[in-house]
Amino acid sequence: MNPEPFLRLDRVIHEKGRLAIMSLLAASPQLSFTEMRDTLNMTDGNLTAHMRTLQETGYVSVTKAFQGGRPLTTYSLTVQGRKAFTIYINLLEQIVQQTKSGK
Amino acid sequence: MGMESNWAAENLRVIRTLMERSAVYRRELAPLMLLAGTVGTFAAAIGWFARIESPRAFVGYWLAVGVLTIAGCFLLLRRQALKDADPLWSPPTRRVTQALLPALVAGLVGSAVALLKVGAADEKSANVVGMVFLPPAWIALYGCAIHAAGFFMQRGIRLFGWAFILGGCGLFAVGVPDLPGPLYAHGVMGFFFGGLHLAYGAYLFCTEKRKKEA
Repeated sequence: MNPEPFLRLDRVIHEKGRLAIMSLLAASPQLSFTEMRDTLNMTDGNLTAHMRTLQETGYVSVTKAFQGGRPLTTYSLTVQGRKAFTIYINLLEQIVQQTKSGK
Repeated sequence: MGMESNWAAENLRVIRTLMERSAVYRRELAPLMLLAGTVGTFAAAIGWFARIESPRAFVGYWLAVGVLTIAGCFLLLRRQALKDADPLWSPPTRRVTQALLPALVAGLVGSAVALLKVGAADEKSANVVGMVFLPPAWIALYGCAIHAAGFFMQRGIRLFGWAFILGGCGLFAVGVPDLPGPLYAHGVMGFFFGGLHLAYGAYLFCTEKRKKEA
């Protein structure tokens, strides 16, 4: 089996928590902080730390607004983030396919 | 290498599950169902006691009840969104609304046409259309709307939709009862739009509460 796809996996996305965040955002144009926190059962601190990493990498963009006088923070994938996520998925599929074909 | 492959396949499965979960509508439905059920039950009782008996008045009355219920549900949803600091018009909410609309619009247009036409029709035809055929049509169409929205919500909602679809079709199959028109019509509306919503709302209230406690 060629180990190359495994070595090419994006280390930023590869972390379990960030992979979950990227998966949620890939399926929805935007999600709020609370929606992600509740869906993933993460603590505020944990989610904030992961979001900061994803923002610094340029994979996620943040929008801050007000709804009914309360702050509302929503996140969405950037073009770069969506591309990185697609590549990551393709590499995972390659790994699975390689084993199936016995390479 | 085999372990890497297993891990990759497991990761893909987790990603798929999370992507599906992201698209699912997660607002609490129990308060909406209880509100709709309460309004439906009271509306049926008021309709009967206030003797809303002419087909035209019946159609107009229940259309108004429908609009009132939708407005109430919208306010409840808005309150939930504000409380949870979530956008009201989130992508799952948009999907659910889009799924609900076709059947609801069909019901609304059919009712509006009936409202206009029953006034000109003879009494017997107007009674049959307004008091006997429209309620099962509303019930079946509402079931279709709920069933369609259920593809973006928890699975139980689709079964709830089926209860309305089968109930509406069953009423068509049973045909015109011996009961006086208004009692039958308000009774059917009260049972389906009141009783069923209340029963499902009570079930959801217990299950959603248990989930929160877990």
